[in-house]
Amino acid sequence: MTENSSAGWPRPIDSILHGATDYTVGATLVTMFPRLARIEGTRAARQIRIAGAVHAGYSALTDYPLGIVKAIPYRAHLAIDAIGALALAATPFVTGQFRRGRDQWVPHVALSAFELSSLALSDPTGRGDYKADVEAVRRANMEDPARKIHEGGLAVTPGAAATNGGATAAATA
Amino acid sequence: MGSTTALTVLGSPDEVRRKWEDPTFRPEYITDSDADVTFREAPGDRGTEIHVALQRADPKGKLGQVFQKVVGSVSMAKVKDELRRFKQLVETGEVARSEAAPEGERAERKLKQRPAQPLEQSELQKAGV
Amino acid sequence: MRANVWSGRNTVQVENVPDPKILNDRDAIVKITSTAICGSDLHLYDGYIPTMKKGDILGHEFMGEVVETGRGVSNLAVGDRVVVPFPIACGQCANCRNELYSACENSNPNAGLAEKMFGHPTCGIFGYSHLTGGYAGGQAEYARVPYADVGPMKIEDDLTDEQVLFLSDIFPTGYMGAEFCEITGGECIAVFGAGPVGQFAIASAVMLGAERVIAIDQFDYRLEMARNKAGATDTINFDADPDVVEQLKVMTGGRGPDAVIDAVGMESVSGHAPLQAIERLKQASRQETDSGAALRDAILACRPGGIVSVIGVYGGLMDKFPMGALMNKGLSLKTGQCHVHRYMKPLYEHVKQGHIDPSFVVTHKLGLGEAPNGFETFKHKEDECVKVVLKP
Repeated sequence: MTENSSAGWPRPIDSILHGATDYTVGATLVTMFPRLARIEGTRAARQIRIAGAVHAGYSALTDYPLGIVKAIPYRAHLAIDAIGALALAATPFVTGQFRRGRDQWVPHVALSAFELSSLALSDPTGRGDYKADVEAVRRANMEDPARKIHEGGLAVTPGAAATNGGATAAATA
Repeated sequence: MGSTTALTVLGSPDEVRRKWEDPTFRPEYITDSDADVTFREAPGDRGTEIHVALQRADPKGKLGQVFQKVVGSVSMAKVKDELRRFKQLVETGEVARSEAAPEGERAERKLKQRPAQPLEQSELQKAGV
Repeated sequence: MRANVWSGRNTVQVENVPDPKILNDRDAIVKITSTAICGSDLHLYDGYIPTMKKGDILGHEFMGEVVETGRGVSNLAVGDRVVVPFPIACGQCANCRNELYSACENSNPNAGLAEKMFGHPTCGIFGYSHLTGGYAGGQAEYARVPYADVGPMKIEDDLTDEQVLFLSDIFPTGYMGAEFCEITGGECIAVFGAGPVGQFAIASAVMLGAERVIAIDQFDYRLEMARNKAGATDTINFDADPDVVEQLKVMTGGRGPDAVIDAVGMESVSGHAPLQAIERLKQASRQETDSGAALRDAILACRPGGIVSVIGVYGGLMDKFPMGALMNKGLSLKTGQCHVHRYMKPLYEHVKQGHIDPSFVVTHKLGLGEAPNGFETFKHKEDECVKVVLKP
C-alpha cells in the first residue's frame, strides 16, 4: 500500500471533497431531510436538525480548504465526525424514543452509518489516497530530485537569445 | 450535413484536374456517383478549390445503402474522406495511415477504430500495406 | 515489444504489443532510448480527452536510433540518432509550408473526428487519442515515425539524451510561449504554472531578455526550481495567498505584467477553495471540460494592451471566460499547439552553445516498467517530482 493509506483499503476522499460533503449534508439535514424522511414535527426531526447544524458549524471552524475560521485541526474534525456519528446513532436508544416506531431511530442509524462509511474512505492527511508506491519510485530513480532542484547554478544564460545584442545582455547579467 | 463540400489542394487547376483523371489518384466514390465536381483557382497562391455537390446520393454497397436510409449523410462523409485522400496523394505522395486507422481515413472506421498500437504481421495485408 | 498503454481512467499498464511496421514509404522505425511523461499526458490519464481506447500506446516525447526506413526516406540512415517532434507534419501542405506544422492538413487520418470538435482537423500527434489520428505513441521500445523526411532531427554530438530529448515538445513549447510575448528587453512576464513547460517558458523569457519573470504555482519545490534553475526573478505561491492578480499588480508597481503565459491548461486549480470545489464538481460531472482558473487570473492580471500567451493544453469548452476583460483592456491572445519543427534547430543551437541545459527539469529517471508509478508520482507531485524520463 502507499504511505498515504496506512489502512488496508483505498481512502480517496480528500479534504476538499470531505468539506463539500460536510456542508451539503449539514444543509440538507437542517432543511429538507425531515420532510423527505417523513419525520417532520417529531423529536427525531429536531435531533437531526441540530446534528446537521452542529456538523456544519464545526466544519466552518475546521482548518481545511473549505473552513472559514481555521481553528480545528483536520484530524480532530474527523474524530468529532466519528464521535458525533456514534452519538447520533445512540440518541434514540438513550431517550427511549425508539419504542415509538421505526421512523424514530432508523434515520439516526442510517445517517450514522453514512457518516462512518464516508469517514472510512477519507484520507486523514487530507490529500486523498493514490496508487503509486513512492518508495519503489525512490529506489528506482536514477536521478536525485533534491540535488536537481536545490544544487548547482542557473541552467540558462540570461539574454542569450535576445534579438538586440545577446552578448551585451549576458555581459551585464 | 449539407450536400456540398469543398477542399483546397495545393497545385494549379490544370495539375489538379489532370491528377483527378489519373487512375492512380482517381477518387472512385465521387467520380462514380452523380456528384457535380468543379475546380476553381483559390485566391492568392492557395492552390485549387475542389467543389463537390451531391446531386442524387447513390451509395454503392449494402452498408452504404443501410446507412443512407438511417443517417442520410454517410455519402457526404465518404465524399470528404475521398477528397482528403486525394489531397494527401497529390500533396504528399501517400495516404496518411495511423495504427488506429491503417487503411487511411474511412467513414466506417470512425465507429470501429483499432487501438493505437502496431499491427500484427497478419493484419498488414488487410490494411492494404 | 513492451509499451505503456492506456487502460482506463487513472490506469496505465506496461504490456507486450507487436513491434511497429513500416506502413508507408516515408516512414521510419526508431528504437527509443529515452522518452518522457508530459503534463498533457495527464489529461489523457485523468480521462478528460475523449476518444481514448484501451490499448492505446501513450507518449509523444521521444528520441532514439533509426533502425529501419521506408523507400521514400533518404535523409536518414540506419543508426542515426534522432529526436522526434510530437506533431506529425507532412511538410508539403499549405500550413506546413507556412511553418504552421501543428496545423498540418494531411497527417490526421481521423480528420473527420477532429473536424467535428474543432471545426477543422489539426495535425496527427503521437499517442494522443484518436482525435489526433490514433497514432501509437513513444512510451515504448520502438515507434513508427511517419513523414520521417520532415520530422526527426539528427543529433550528431555528445550531448546526453536528457539534454536534447525536450526539443521534441516542452522546450519549443515553452519557447513559443515566450516568443508570443514579443520580448524586446526589459519586460515583466508572469508565467502561470511552474511545471516542465512553465520552467522552459521562464527560461526562454530569461534568454529572450525579459527583465523580470514571475513564476506562479502552488508547490514550493517547483517555485524553487524556477528560481534556482530557470532564472525566475520572483515567485508567487497561490496556496499561501490565492489573490494572484493583486500580488502581480503589487509586484509590478500597479501596472500589471506586460505579458502573461498560461502554462497550466485545462486542469488548472484555483487557490480559492470554494471556487476550486465548484470547478472540480463541474469537471467531474463533465459539465465543463476545461477549467479556466489560471487563464482567468492571467487575463485579469495582464496590463491593458498586453499579451496573453496560452501554451497550456485545452480540449473543449470553458465556462466563465472573461471576454469583457480581454476586450476592454485590448489584450492580444496568442495560442497554439507548438509548431515544434520550426524551433528544433535554433533551440538545438542554443543547447550546443551552452546557453541552456534542458536537463535541469529532470527529477526522475525510471525504467519503462515503472511507468505506472511514474504517472502517479508525476500526477500527485510526490517526491519533488517535476519531470519523469523513462528508459525502455
